[in-house]
Amino acid sequence: MTRETERGRLKLALGPLLYYWPRTAVMQFYAGIAESAADIVYLGEVVCSRRHEMRFEDWVEVGDLLAAHGKEVVFSTQPVTESEGDLKLVRRVVQNARWRVEANDMGAVSLLAGATNWVAGPYLNLYSPQSLAMIAAMGATRWVAPVEVTQGIARGVLAERPAGMEAEVFAHGRLPLAYSARCFTARRYNLQKESCAYRCLEHPDGMLLKTREGLPFLVLNGVQTQSAKCYSLVPDLASVRATGIDVLRVSPQSAGTVETLAMLRALCDGASSGALPETDTCDGFWHGRPGLELAA
Amino acid sequence: MDLVCPAGSLPALKAAIDHGADWVYLGLRDSTNARNFAGLNFDRAALLQGLAYAHARRRKVLLALNTYPQAATWRRWTDAVDLAADTGVDAIIVADLALLDYAHRTHPGLTLHLSVQGSATNYEAINFYQERFGVTRAVLPRVLSLAQVELVARNTSVEIEVFGFGGLCVMVEGRCALSAYACGDSPNTFGACSPGHAVRWEETAAGLESRLNGVLIDRYAPGERAAYPTLCKGRFEVDGATYYAVEEPASLNTIELLPDFLRAGVRAVKIEGRQRSPAYVAQVTQVWREAIDALRAEPERFVPRAQWIAALGRHAEGSQQTLGAFSRPWK
Amino acid sequence: MKLLGLLPEWPPAVALSAALEIALVSGLLSRDALEPLRGKTLCIEARDLGVRVRLTYGALGFRPAARGSDADLEIKAAFADFVALATRREDPDTLFFTRRLVMTGDTDLGLIAKNALDAIDWSRLPRPLRGF
Repeated sequence: MTRETERGRLKLALGPLLYYWPRTAVMQFYAGIAESAADIVYLGEVVCSRRHEMRFEDWVEVGDLLAAHGKEVVFSTQPVTESEGDLKLVRRVVQNARWRVEANDMGAVSLLAGATNWVAGPYLNLYSPQSLAMIAAMGATRWVAPVEVTQGIARGVLAERPAGMEAEVFAHGRLPLAYSARCFTARRYNLQKESCAYRCLEHPDGMLLKTREGLPFLVLNGVQTQSAKCYSLVPDLASVRATGIDVLRVSPQSAGTVETLAMLRALCDGASSGALPETDTCDGFWHGRPGLELAA
Repeated sequence: MDLVCPAGSLPALKAAIDHGADWVYLGLRDSTNARNFAGLNFDRAALLQGLAYAHARRRKVLLALNTYPQAATWRRWTDAVDLAADTGVDAIIVADLALLDYAHRTHPGLTLHLSVQGSATNYEAINFYQERFGVTRAVLPRVLSLAQVELVARNTSVEIEVFGFGGLCVMVEGRCALSAYACGDSPNTFGACSPGHAVRWEETAAGLESRLNGVLIDRYAPGERAAYPTLCKGRFEVDGATYYAVEEPASLNTIELLPDFLRAGVRAVKIEGRQRSPAYVAQVTQVWREAIDALRAEPERFVPRAQWIAALGRHAEGSQQTLGAFSRPWK
Repeated sequence: MKLLGLLPEWPPAVALSAALEIALVSGLLSRDALEPLRGKTLCIEARDLGVRVRLTYGALGFRPAARGSDADLEIKAAFADFVALATRREDPDTLFFTRRLVMTGDTDLGLIAKNALDAIDWSRLPRPLRGF
């Protein structure tokens, strides 16, 4: 019996929406996702607390729609909180009685401790089996690896897998690489963050940053910095499976997300090949290389 | 208010103590700390000499074990915790959940500080580390405003430490994979940002160029002040404009905020720069010692002296100093 | 004035080698710390004097490099700034930010050399040998 059949079918997760879109665009997007190949959908604002197109109640509405279509819905908390207002939202997400919660900082973990069946998000910096065991004892049942995780580190973390613990990796999309207190989109327009005029709305896939030699390098998305290249573990599915990963995370883009999910589903189910929309992909992190490299 | 100063070598430790540091923080010569640079830091013998020097003068030594251990190398980190306990280090600075747990269970007498790499920006997180592991001090990431620092300090009995001077991470510490993306080594797991082996400086017809694993970070005209070759301090093109897209090369300098720190309940100020030489440590420590003493003597009348500003300005990266996130306009 | 540039480079190279040898032989500078420099050529240039010194590090310690060998690392600064660095009155990063110190080539070698020099505890050297 192979590891793959032991662990069953790879599930597909859609990570939280990282960009700022108008409410109607968000609603339309998730109506499409309801019909997509995603098994799990993470919801909520995880980049900037100034973004307010989607209120808490709107996310609840989206969640209900997705749940009605058989999706597992998970509510994600903010990785970086600054104000009491931010903390209030974390408490509200944690105390939502409907869905699982993805904790993205130790404040959320603290509020969840004693609860069961929550998700340890990619920002908790869990790199060892010892830390995974601790978080399992606090009630977590899924580990989302940090985006920079290597195959070797993931194998090490999962060597002593707690009972019932699932493992998820970032498998397709622009890597969320860093968070700041400063807003780089506002900075581009010489605006202060506090009066940013919500310029992120004009950039549905962030703003491309190039080197002075014209090389596309990063993407600025408000207070978040992403990779310009699309990280993709599509060439690595065999080693991803062999490592004991259960869930592949796809990160939303303004176009092609439903198609990416469908293609990944087909590849996971045994299709020999398929064309994904992105051509310039990278997978260096998984191989212990610089993230921007294509190592497979 | 405690003054916490950096040391990358024994002479730097002596310089810090001779010039008035209350605490000196240092790391071992491996990936257990976030300044894992070739030739920097302390081996066991240097650590013992440093401890003896500090303790003879009633100052304290902090060992930074602020990176994230992995399965294959777990023992490296726990051995370092054991070494700290055995040699009488006054406290360790830790970020990793499981390592805090190990230290708390194995050496209940060892004082624990939460590292800035632990990314704790709110009091719920800080109180969690206190309840679980008995953490007594937390270093805040350089992303909070003064009002936000005060909010944290008012809602916890854990001592709050903030960065006062030195290199400025514009990204939330522990939440930045930019260096790993460009050149492989990760601050979280390997303890290095923009490691020397990936850095190239080249004098070209267009100016002095810095590259990280081949990626052009910046190009300096003759006489233009240079910066560390980190991604966040480079010049790039966004939407037709070429500029410091993330952050100008600048050093944090908060000396004028000392009275505000005092009011906000801050208990310690940290100077960045374990990678810098004994000359920097001596000069910067001396200025901050004088400033904190002046604050203690007459908190209501505290005004930064011109010679302090000048002395600190000499060491700044790039051409300017900033109040960082403590000031709202910066955000 | 580039007069000195016309002179043979060996005398200053020999002097610098000798200083580093003192640190090595007296145990103040650890051979382990310098191991990554083995077989590498460092070029140190005092820009204002036009003097270039090339050293290699090997089993016998620091020696003047063979003429014509390529440098793995080049460090350039004014002579007075080198003296200030050597006597710990200046911080190399501070000089580097203001472009008074330029380091090109293999950056890691530069950091290793700089950190090894920073770690020398000159207070342990017998006073007559210290010179400052």
